Amino acid sequence: MKRAQLLLVSALIAASTLGSTAPGAFAAQGQVRSNSDGFAYRCLGYTDTYPQQLYTLAVSQMTKLGYAVTDASLGSAFTRSAFLTTVGKDYAVYVHSHGDNYWAASGYPNVDSGFLQDPGTTRCNSSSTDVVRSSSIKAATYGGAYTLVIMSTCSLGADSTTMPGAFQIEKTKLSPEKEFYLSYADHVYDSSMLRFEQAFWSYINSGNPNYTLWGAFTYANSIGGYPIPDAQDPFLPNWWGSSIYNGHPL
Amino acid sequence: MNEMSAIGPSRAFKSALGAGLLLASLAIAVGSLPADSKPKAPADPRPTQPAVVFQLLDAQSSPAVFSRANSTRDALGFPTGVRRTGRRVKDSFQQAEFDEVDELDAKGDLVSLTQFEPSGRLRVAVRLDQSPHPATRVDGESASQAAQRGVAAAGLLVGGPRHVDSDVATDGWTVRWERTQNGVSVRGDETRVQVRPDGSIQSLARIEHQLAAEPTRRLDSDQAKRLVTNQAHQWFEASGSSYTIQKMDVEWVAPNDTFGSGQSADPQQAYRLAWVANVKPSGPAADYAWLVTVYIDAGDGSLLGGDIVE
Repeated sequence: MKRAQLLLVSALIAASTLGSTAPGAFAAQGQVRSNSDGFAYRCLGYTDTYPQQLYTLAVSQMTKLGYAVTDASLGSAFTRSAFLTTVGKDYAVYVHSHGDNYWAASGYPNVDSGFLQDPGTTRCNSSSTDVVRSSSIKAATYGGAYTLVIMSTCSLGADSTTMPGAFQIEKTKLSPEKEFYLSYADHVYDSSMLRFEQAFWSYINSGNPNYTLWGAFTYANSIGGYPIPDAQDPFLPNWWGSSIYNGHPL
Repeated sequence: MNEMSAIGPSRAFKSALGAGLLLASLAIAVGSLPADSKPKAPADPRPTQPAVVFQLLDAQSSPAVFSRANSTRDALGFPTGVRRTGRRVKDSFQQAEFDEVDELDAKGDLVSLTQFEPSGRLRVAVRLDQSPHPATRVDGESASQAAQRGVAAAGLLVGGPRHVDSDVATDGWTVRWERTQNGVSVRGDETRVQVRPDGSIQSLARIEHQLAAEPTRRLDSDQAKRLVTNQAHQWFEASGSSYTIQKMDVEWVAPNDTFGSGQSADPQQAYRLAWVANVKPSGPAADYAWLVTVYIDAGDGSLLGGDIVE
């Protein structure tokens, strides 16, 4: 406890000292993580290339939007520890993996959403050991503000998800803050995620400063051409946050 | 609470963290440099970026494009801007080329956009002004009728199975007509209308791909199921998992290289007739793969690709 207090005091001193630094002295940081070993030949019998394609797209486009993508990993460097120890300083976060709204430790009906870390090169994913839960992320984000969070996973855009709250983003579509959370509500084909995200990034990074993340979402949601696994799983991307934020770092 | 006071402290904290990490990184980097080493230019960590390039169009030189855009805007009840801009777009993200007309308000904000294929066929029309949020939204049947009226007003014909789904992003409805060819679904091809909660049209899109010739002989379902079973067995055996084949239908599909079968992923290539099987993993693989969908060429039984729900 004493150690925690000391750390907090040190952090506050650092913040008060550096808080006066001129705006823009440090580029707003972003991180991009993609689980690829969980979808490699050893686990699937073939190598799923979508994690690589989505990762490459997100790194290039988050950078183009103005974020310094300082923590990016495709594969085994995407661990729970790596994510949680670096997420606190970020403003933008992108994760591609398997996601779900798991029961919380307190049990039904409480939800503690999560995604799977990369399992590394010697084993496959397990939901009993690899989930990075929203409660852990919330603790690691110290109540900090996040401007752009993309969970390129199934289910983390569902009404029941707790993931936006881990980044202090309220599940409203009328937020006055410059913040935007994007994910998918149900089960989604990887090809549909790639098509949607290609359209999303092409719109927001097409060079018009008046374009908004909501506009990019609405455009991508409008173009259609998204196959669905079955009639019970329509293609349902979802968002929360501000409808007028252009996505550029503050 | 204003925006600055809401985010100020956390931004300062993140700046401090960022500065600390930057200093630490510099210290590590300097400390690890051999005395005789020369600084090297860092490798560019950014992958090759897709891009949107365009050529401006104006109403004098491209009257047909602007005329089509105006007609579509009015047919769908979209707002009229104070000015319009047009452009021929090459979008390497979407691997598409199209003409686009934007309607802009007095502040230069986009209120709607319309895109057409180079052939003049509508690609997508979408309004981007804020949607009203009425106390009660229209029901699915009313939304479906509104979508039908919008499609007809835009001069499009629809047929095939119709689906009406609630849309969580708009709190409205998505109405889709699957494209079929001789009763066989064309995977992903559709006429798609999004209807706002107040019953107005949010967007209209039509996706239609070229189809290859039908194979002269078609595998029957038992033959196709054997091929899918052999493939699924190879995939899931390694991870000690099992599977069930949930559904098999004949569909037109876009060949792809999802399973490394060497198929081209060229979006312009013609769709081929295939047996499409949904393979549901069980056992350990079910923790990370929810569904694998397999395309088997309906004529020669070769693997045409597929898809995955992670």
